[in-house]
Amino acid sequence: MFRLAIERALNHMINVNSINIDRLDNSLVSLYVDDIDLKLFFLCLNSRIFVIENSEQKEANVDITLNKKAFLSLFKGASFEDLIESEDIEINGSIKTAQQLADLFALSSIDIEELISQYTGDVIAHQIGRTIDRIKDSSTQDKDSLIESLKNEFTTLLIAPSRSKFFKKRAS
Amino acid sequence: MDKTTHFGFKQVDVEKKQGLVKGVFDSVAGKYDLMNDVMSMGTHRLWKNYTISSSNVSEGDHVLDIAGGTGDLAIKFRKKVGDSGKVILSDINGSMLNEGRKNLLNHGIIDVDFVQANAESLPFEDNTFDCVSIAFGLRNVTNKDVALQQMYRVLKKGGTLLVLEFSKVENEMLKKIYDLYSFNVIPKFGEFFANDEDSYQYLAESIRKHPDQETLKSMALDAGFGFCEYHNLTGGIVALHKAIKT
Repeated sequence: MFRLAIERALNHMINVNSINIDRLDNSLVSLYVDDIDLKLFFLCLNSRIFVIENSEQKEANVDITLNKKAFLSLFKGASFEDLIESEDIEINGSIKTAQQLADLFALSSIDIEELISQYTGDVIAHQIGRTIDRIKDSSTQDKDSLIESLKNEFTTLLIAPSRSKFFKKRAS
Repeated sequence: MDKTTHFGFKQVDVEKKQGLVKGVFDSVAGKYDLMNDVMSMGTHRLWKNYTISSSNVSEGDHVLDIAGGTGDLAIKFRKKVGDSGKVILSDINGSMLNEGRKNLLNHGIIDVDFVQANAESLPFEDNTFDCVSIAFGLRNVTNKDVALQQMYRVLKKGGTLLVLEFSKVENEMLKKIYDLYSFNVIPKFGEFFANDEDSYQYLAESIRKHPDQETLKSMALDAGFGFCEYHNLTGGIVALHKAIKT
């Protein structure tokens, strides 16, 4: 779910703002947040970004290792050079590719702290908050789509107990 | 010597399987959605929602839903691709396509194309689609490796294949309960709700003959996909394989 949320948010931003990511085409970036043991691979293909869990099929063009604080800072637009200088980020491979991906993170409006809270355990609170927001958004639409939206949101909420167990296990 | 394949737990001639599967789906088409709700206690809707969420499909995309049957995925994809995109619902079975056509009309959708096609010989140009999906259909295909190669062929570079299918349950206790349920309860539901016990016996058997998660992942990579990952749902009763054409 964490990977999926980042993937959807990045692709949505690329589509809506018509951002050209041709320079990243065919690149595979490995990103490891060491203090929460989070490993992600970002595959850029045909103006899309895929966030995948393992890349046994292809070697990454660049490996980025960083701590949680630096990871959060990237999404808040912190200077990539400053993070490298402060040794919060370790890069092996093409720095240019890493920089381009970091630029995308900075442009995105991903609420990364909320996503991290999901990853580290606080999934129920997040899910309920999100559902309430969506229902509020839907209330301006017609009755049928509101009912459809409620059905979709509550079916998602039904998964939450098993998901929370998974997240709890990851966090412990 | 004739080649054989499985049809549920029976061994049948390869060329006969397609006709036998057709018989099953001709028989169940009218009650397909009802039976899905009954057998999975509604959970199939969650599995399909997750599939759509994982699809990376956006406005303007071209999507092919293979074995799309009654069209529940096609309806959701149509919402995602918008007016500038295109959704094609394909199924080898005419009775299922008719149900799909009715269902989409009931949802006010008139611009999804319907194509009666065999997944092993898709009648589309190379590099046509941004996403190809097949939900609860691959296990009924006789030559799955050929079908996966066809799906690879019709996808654009960077396109995504989504295979939602019954798979191998990981937990031993859940496996026992699931076996009991599928071999003893599901065929009885079939008899009660659809007046067809045999078709639902086939369903339970065909699930057990379908490749497990890792085998299907290897098959997707062998078909040419650059990446393939799977996500188990409900303890592995169902798995979603997501493969990317690189």
